[in-house]
Amino acid sequence: MKMTQSPTFKAFSEPLVKNNPVFIQSLGICSALAVTVQLKTAIVMALAMTSVTAFSNLTISAMRNVIPRNVRMIVELSVIASLVILADEILRAYFYDISKQLSVFVGLIITNCIVMGRAETYALGNPPIRSFMDGLGNGAGYGLVLVTVAFIRELFGAGKLLGFPVVPQFFYDHGYMNMGFMQLAPAAFIIIGLLVWLQKSIVKG
Amino acid sequence: MSDQLKSIVFTAIVALVCSLLLTGASSGLKARKLRNIAVDRQKNILQSVGLIDPIQKPDPTQIEQLYQNNIQCYGVDGANRIVADGSEKNLLPVCFYVKEGEPAAYILPVVSRGLWGKIRGYMAIKNDGKTITGFSVYSHNETPGLGGEIEKPWFQENFVGKQILDQLGAFAAVGIAKGKVAEVIQSDHQANYVDGISGATLTGKFLTGGLKAVLYEYEGLSEQFRKGPVTLPN
Repeated sequence: MKMTQSPTFKAFSEPLVKNNPVFIQSLGICSALAVTVQLKTAIVMALAMTSVTAFSNLTISAMRNVIPRNVRMIVELSVIASLVILADEILRAYFYDISKQLSVFVGLIITNCIVMGRAETYALGNPPIRSFMDGLGNGAGYGLVLVTVAFIRELFGAGKLLGFPVVPQFFYDHGYMNMGFMQLAPAAFIIIGLLVWLQKSIVKG
Repeated sequence: MSDQLKSIVFTAIVALVCSLLLTGASSGLKARKLRNIAVDRQKNILQSVGLIDPIQKPDPTQIEQLYQNNIQCYGVDGANRIVADGSEKNLLPVCFYVKEGEPAAYILPVVSRGLWGKIRGYMAIKNDGKTITGFSVYSHNETPGLGGEIEKPWFQENFVGKQILDQLGAFAAVGIAKGKVAEVIQSDHQANYVDGISGATLTGKFLTGGLKAVLYEYEGLSEQFRKGPVTLPN
């Protein structure tokens, strides 16, 4: 069996584009609007989200045979909440400036439906390594959307990428203006809508 | 063991493990987090007196060094005397940029209402008691891209050189104009206003009120500076 056909690899690759949690299941839209004004915050958010999803899947999958059915949601939530607080603490200690910008949104990963959804539908029924890969894939799929949206918004909204000006002064001198609308939340909605359209027309076949 | 008991024991164990883990992480990283917060404040104080450029990113040790060498903090009591910080209650905190033993500027902590929450920062005034040397913001909840622009250098730079007195010498504070100063403010008051942020009228309005309240509170100290050189207690 080729490596790309193995269930472990598929668990990672499918949610990237084909079964992307944002596009197909419309999950995690809230933070996709909030943290995508700048590329830098989007990247950090994507990394935090990916590690939380991956490790919560791993932990819950490892415990899946001993978790009593009737309290499984509570257990899942405790694990997810702990991981999110841990990620927040690390950001505060090592990336203070970025954590200031992300403010409440790191904490809100707890309520991101993608994390809970993957724990509930995948990790409870699959072995740890495969669950870990599924978590990585879903986090990365979400991150991909976040980074794409942030790229477009920062480029057109501020004329910068990662804080560096990329639109030459020459353009501004000749009447080019940054699109203030890109800095507002509705712009993210529109971009996500266009991306869903793009994804649907590529994956159709 | 009954199913119910099993569930309770299992949840208790999960809760215990999670809380131990988080307590460990939180106390292990505490020193680092507190230092980050302290350095961030110091950076903002230094920024308000123009000792560091907000665009360049100096490392924490540099900031701490600069702060130690140039900034001294005191309190102002009810009779507008400068006393050592923490010696009495009800002191207004104030820091000084000390240059060759003399205060070159004094720095006021600013707490203002904002649109979504408190805006906190520092405003520094030159030792003539009326010219602003800088303004900085270290914490706010304003909308990114709109009111959130108050934390950006382009907005804060506009405060440099503005006056807290009007042309007749009466207290006027400094305000945020609704639009460009040159277009909306009468020429005799232009020194008391900075350009506003488009799309953030309310943030500007609240911050104008907050700055006025803070500057009024410290007016006694400002008057002393206007009268002549102020000496710091040892």
